Amino acid sequence: MFKVFGFVKKNNNLSHDDYRAGHAGYHNSFGRRLKNIRGYILNVRSNRDLVKDYKNSEIIREISLNEPKNFDNQWNGFGQLMFDDYYDYINAKQATLDKAGPGGLELDQMVAKVGDDFNHLYSGSPFQFNVDETIISPVIRPEKKLFKIIQFIKKKNDVNPILYSSYLKGKYCSIFSDIKGLKGLIINQRTSLDVMTNFFKPDAECFSNRGIKRREKFYDCWDTIIEYWFLNYENFFKGRFDKKLLTYINNFEDKYFEKSFYREVDETVAVMPKRNISTDFYHR
Amino acid sequence: MNELFKVFAFLKRNSLLLTHDEYRAGHVGFHCCNSRRLKNIRGYLVNIWSNETLQKKMGKKYKTISFNEPQNFLDYWDGFPEVYFDNKRDWISASTPEPTRATKDGLSIDESWTLGDGPFLFDKVENKSDQFKSNHLKVNERQILPVSRPEKKICKIIQFFKRNNSLAEKEFKNEFLKSYNKLFLNIPNIIGLTVNFQDKNIDAAVNDFFPKNAWCFSDEGKKERKFFSELWDGITEIYVNNSEDFINGVLKLSKEKSFNELQEKLFSSLWYVEVDENLIVLPNRKPLPDYYYR
Repeated sequence: MFKVFGFVKKNNNLSHDDYRAGHAGYHNSFGRRLKNIRGYILNVRSNRDLVKDYKNSEIIREISLNEPKNFDNQWNGFGQLMFDDYYDYINAKQATLDKAGPGGLELDQMVAKVGDDFNHLYSGSPFQFNVDETIISPVIRPEKKLFKIIQFIKKKNDVNPILYSSYLKGKYCSIFSDIKGLKGLIINQRTSLDVMTNFFKPDAECFSNRGIKRREKFYDCWDTIIEYWFLNYENFFKGRFDKKLLTYINNFEDKYFEKSFYREVDETVAVMPKRNISTDFYHR
Repeated sequence: MNELFKVFAFLKRNSLLLTHDEYRAGHVGFHCCNSRRLKNIRGYLVNIWSNETLQKKMGKKYKTISFNEPQNFLDYWDGFPEVYFDNKRDWISASTPEPTRATKDGLSIDESWTLGDGPFLFDKVENKSDQFKSNHLKVNERQILPVSRPEKKICKIIQFFKRNNSLAEKEFKNEFLKSYNKLFLNIPNIIGLTVNFQDKNIDAAVNDFFPKNAWCFSDEGKKERKFFSELWDGITEIYVNNSEDFINGVLKLSKEKSFNELQEKLFSSLWYVEVDENLIVLPNRKPLPDYYYR
């Protein structure tokens, strides 16, 4: 699928929890109506600190490598949009015929503006980019909130990118797929494809010098995001810190990663991703 | 896991204005854009009957798995949302506005929030421009196999059943849960199985939710709702990877004499409808977090 991530920083008028409500509430309500959208997930940075707020979780420090300082000042959440192709993505923001009115179905112009709340919800433009996705373990969602972990990784400069990608998808991630309670594992590698032109207005902050600088600083922190879903936090801590696995993983990370660090996020499934063929009727 | 307050709302489209497929778009699109923000909602699915019915897919074989299906059953409804709340108090106060819109003044109540599309979307009550007909029914749920959803469109089959009057309700439920329902776990690739017994009080979901002058409390409303609610006593939600799995599984079951005898003993009528499930809010059966969450 064609997958786009948009990392956002909250507007200064909002607390982190205000931002959650604005994004998961009003904003997602319009975003989920984008034309031909095939999946829409929102991840909001958890209020819990992975290092401090779980039993024995200070061990997270041991597996973190060169975590950038004040990384969380750059983002509060990120959306994941999924479409069948680039064309659908770039044409998604348009008035939609999905509102019943006195004359039958009517066009709703607010969908084209995705609720028209960008300037009040965010600070500047989202850091929006395409990712090349590899599904190591398909996501299965039970009817309960899962424990979702995001691992940010930056590869070492001198490591060949093809080898890096191959080892990451192979021996690195395959070792995690056996962790008890794992409900999904997906690798997302950021690509250089421009997904902002023709999606954001030409005067958007992302095209300004300030916006470019802000984005480049953020992108310098990582090039790969791994999403992990677990039934609960115990599964993650117990599985990830298994001694045998830890030795193997640490050696791998020292060899190939310049940076590697983790965050917990709260996931909202605004549109359940549909990876099969799309229907010939309106479906979310 | 919490036991949740669960309501089904069977709704017929406004057929003067919309086709079935237009109704889909209006319900899942604009309407849910508002209703997914109902306060403290814990889960929200919208099931719409599939354009290709199970009867059509199965042909004559459909008759071997169903009996005494009400005539033109799909004329009574186009879709049914199922909503989950922690309790009745949350359900009846769900329309309380909450600040969920970022504005220049910070987080504010969305003044454009509305369910005013209802009479255009659903079966409008004659001479009452602001009301539509609905069959809101509280159900008491038993999860036989908790649902686990993959990232694809799954197949959802709804089994409607009516108890055979020769069995007392307690005896019926015991045998249903002990002997009958679990047989469906043999269906290949089943990913969820939930039984819902209709609450005996057909007003359990509408009392204190709709105003006293609402259609549901009118003589016509009471009569129509009673008629619909008496067509069935319960609903089984069967989640499978695809309809072939269900068809193969249920046909295999129906070849067993003991299965058929059990069905005849338990039910006076039994039939199936395939629906397209739209996931609006993924049900979260864990306790509510202390922040806004969908």
